[in-house]
Amino acid sequence: MTYIQIILITLLSAAKAYDYQATQVFIFNSVFWGAVSGLIMGDVTTGLYIGGTLQLMSLGVVGIGGSSAPDYPLAAIIATTIAVSTGQQIEIGLTAGIAVGMLFVQLDIIAKLINGQIGRSMQNACNNNEFDKMNRIVWLSVINMMLASAIPTFIAVTLGSTVVSLIIETLPAWFTVGLAVAGGLLPAVGLSMLLTYMPTAKYVSYLIIGFVLNAYIGVPILGIAFVGIACAILFYHQKADQIMSPTMAVSGGLEDE
Amino acid sequence: MNREPVLTKKDLRKVAYRWISVSIATYGYELQLAPSVVYSLSPALRKIYPNDEEYKKSLNNHFKYFNCMPWLAKILLGASLAIEDTQGIDGVDAVQDLKVGLMGPLSGIGDTIGWVMIPTIFGSIAAYMAVEGSIIGLVIWLIINAVFWAIRVKLVEIGYYQGVKFITKFGEKINIFTEAASILGLTVVGCLVSSVVNLKTSYTFVSGDVTLALQDQFDAIMPSLLPVAVVGLMYYLLKVKKVKMNWIILGTLVISILGAALGIFG
Repeated sequence: MTYIQIILITLLSAAKAYDYQATQVFIFNSVFWGAVSGLIMGDVTTGLYIGGTLQLMSLGVVGIGGSSAPDYPLAAIIATTIAVSTGQQIEIGLTAGIAVGMLFVQLDIIAKLINGQIGRSMQNACNNNEFDKMNRIVWLSVINMMLASAIPTFIAVTLGSTVVSLIIETLPAWFTVGLAVAGGLLPAVGLSMLLTYMPTAKYVSYLIIGFVLNAYIGVPILGIAFVGIACAILFYHQKADQIMSPTMAVSGGLEDE
Repeated sequence: MNREPVLTKKDLRKVAYRWISVSIATYGYELQLAPSVVYSLSPALRKIYPNDEEYKKSLNNHFKYFNCMPWLAKILLGASLAIEDTQGIDGVDAVQDLKVGLMGPLSGIGDTIGWVMIPTIFGSIAAYMAVEGSIIGLVIWLIINAVFWAIRVKLVEIGYYQGVKFITKFGEKINIFTEAASILGLTVVGCLVSSVVNLKTSYTFVSGDVTLALQDQFDAIMPSLLPVAVVGLMYYLLKVKKVKMNWIILGTLVISILGAALGIFG
């Protein structure tokens, strides 16, 4: 493959990251990213085929609420590039692409940790009255996330599939497993912080209700939100009725329809 | 209502575009999407608060943990501006309660529609046609997302104008409302503890021919025992011991990697 193709594929990977993080028009769309990679590499049909295959593999696998899921669109870009440049070997391309897509999940955790520092320096700028600086710092996060996608893509397409699988095999297991464990644990930090802001001690019952519905019965989050809405409506009417005592009748009467 | 609202539709549209330009790129484990909230709202908030101290107080309020499905989060941005534009700096507590109370339910709806329904329905159509060598399925998916784009840029305005109506209508009942929203929020957080946090032990006791998987014992006590213990411990450290967030994140990394090396986790 040519230098121009390497550059274009790396830029495409950065664009994919920006769309995933911000504009979200081609989000989770492995078909699209595979097809565009195919266009750059001069074989749209292979790109569509690989993108479609990865799209089917990704159905139902979505990273929600800060959890990290394999990056299938990234896998589509790398798989297409390697498959076309090594001469139509779609299987090798797919294997390397998926491997990098999985490895990316771990880089993603590191990028999000760096974002934590960037967010803090934004708040520091705010507290020093440097408001313009605060608004500029935010773009470091955007660049950070784009690099987290562009760097593994550049390495993968330059070194090729053999080296990629070699690197993944030589990373010590304790490191990769440890990062995966941390990925499962780190969302707990944010949740705990959230609980310190909320009236947790006062309304701990509702925390328990939400937990039991999901952990024991497996009710999905939307169903639990309905239960939460029901509890909130009951609470609201109970309290609103107390306010609607005779002394409040003048203002209350107008609102109560 | 303490003050005359100053924001125009143009200001609100600007907030929407600023949000779309950074969205979830700022995601970190402590503040989550709060930096994006601050970046999106800052010009509008500056217009509301010409005074530096009030502006800073409001920004710091928006620097608190916020995580919501990014398409629908814009409704909350609009509603927050509605409160601050009508009540000024006295409204920041109500803003925080509103955001925390509604971010979970909105995410529930947004995740289901944006990240599960659309990629599943249109993704599978596009994928099957792509494998056959056709781009028609892909084009249909892109048209759908273009339609959603047109809705997405308007959501801040919708949140703002509905928000003002809401506040005018409910008056002092807003405090009860936000408390009710906290109840809803806590119910959803209870669900997140078991669905988002993930920790299992792979440790096995071996005694002669008898092996005993520790995780099975934990599961016999209750599901998600370890995630609950972790959240409980972190909450205790943050709230009671006032431990800095950095130490907790670092500790989590060290314990995860040590645990993996010793074969306790994984």
